[in-house]
Amino acid sequence: MNKEYQKKILVLALYAGELMMKSGAEIYRVESTIVRICKACKIPYVECFATGTGIFLSLDTGEPGDDMYTFLKRIESTSIDLWKISEINDFSRVFSTTDLSVEDGLLLLKKIDSHKDYGLPLHFLGAALVGPSFCLMFGGGFLDALSTLFAVIGTYAISLLIGKLRFDNFIRIFLSCAFASALALVLSGLHFISHIDPVIIGAVTIFLPGVAITNSARDLLSGEMLAGMSRGTEAIISAIAIASGVGIVLQFWQVAGGIL
Amino acid sequence: MMNYPLIHHLIFAFVGTLGFCILFHVPFKHMPAAAFGGAAGWVTYMYALNGGSPPVAACFAAACLVALLSEIFSKAGKEATTIFIIPGIIPLVPGAPLYYTMRAILTGDFDAAAYFGTQALFMAGSIAIALLLIASLTRLFGAIKGKLKFS
Repeated sequence: MNKEYQKKILVLALYAGELMMKSGAEIYRVESTIVRICKACKIPYVECFATGTGIFLSLDTGEPGDDMYTFLKRIESTSIDLWKISEINDFSRVFSTTDLSVEDGLLLLKKIDSHKDYGLPLHFLGAALVGPSFCLMFGGGFLDALSTLFAVIGTYAISLLIGKLRFDNFIRIFLSCAFASALALVLSGLHFISHIDPVIIGAVTIFLPGVAITNSARDLLSGEMLAGMSRGTEAIISAIAIASGVGIVLQFWQVAGGIL
Repeated sequence: MMNYPLIHHLIFAFVGTLGFCILFHVPFKHMPAAAFGGAAGWVTYMYALNGGSPPVAACFAAACLVALLSEIFSKAGKEATTIFIIPGIIPLVPGAPLYYTMRAILTGDFDAAAYFGTQALFMAGSIAIALLLIASLTRLFGAIKGKLKFS
């Protein structure tokens, strides 16, 4: 096996792993996909170690003249994209069962990577569906749900705006949740809202680290300690950002003499 | 607080999960199934709560149902289970207990804070255990089925 071919396999497998990790897949799924792709290319010795922030991969053909290859890929940002996870899952199955060449595989992955999600207007629609329905689920009335609709759209817009400014994730969630609760307090001051708790819960639900909680717990319980810890910390930090963002505004409101 | 009948809760949770499906970029053809999983889980949770069971147990039962439905949908649609589990579990993620914990801390009511805080923690844990349990059982079931075919 020549060096160039081996390097191409390395690039392909890491690319697939990086895409999955960035889309919010579990660690064990990322590792097994990478190993499956390498094994499909007839490489007998594959070791992969993935955490939430990086992937290490070692390949060895086992032949006397061949070198061992190791590569490290840093994972920067994560945004949940289940479509990509599904597509790469399909891709790895196709790649390991048919004799697709490595170059074609790379092209397919590039196509998956460049696929756009539903776009901004639909994202706003998604947020607008989430807010009011969670408000109603947690016991809000009709007017509360209506206010949540405005609150969640405003909050989502603010969060996108802050995201554009390249602030840290913590600050983004913190400021957005502070904005959401301030808006809810103003609306309740205008006697528009009868229950303030469901409105705030509904407005900040879009920031809940649900994926991080479930993934980290699954990774931890299946023995992936380091990955589970890193995702779990991510979940806890997001939860703290939400709670402190809402909490500080409510506290100021109380200090200023408002009634909760 | 308003008390809605379960059928209303089904609709609310369906619409809410649908919203998350858009945000999480669930493939369009799988959206109804994923949203139905979330709605079914939430209704189970509410039904158990109304029947007087503790929130953690209710959450466990609901998460089991979501995981089971996700396994079925993923087998039927030849997809990864993640696509159905992640949106489906969202209504059960303890956002409300977290909020009430924070509020109890603000008002200095630390008994309530401890109550809601442990509830949030245990709900998250019960979701994880339910997912793992169902995944393991499905694998076992598959293995038994495979063995029977061979013999």
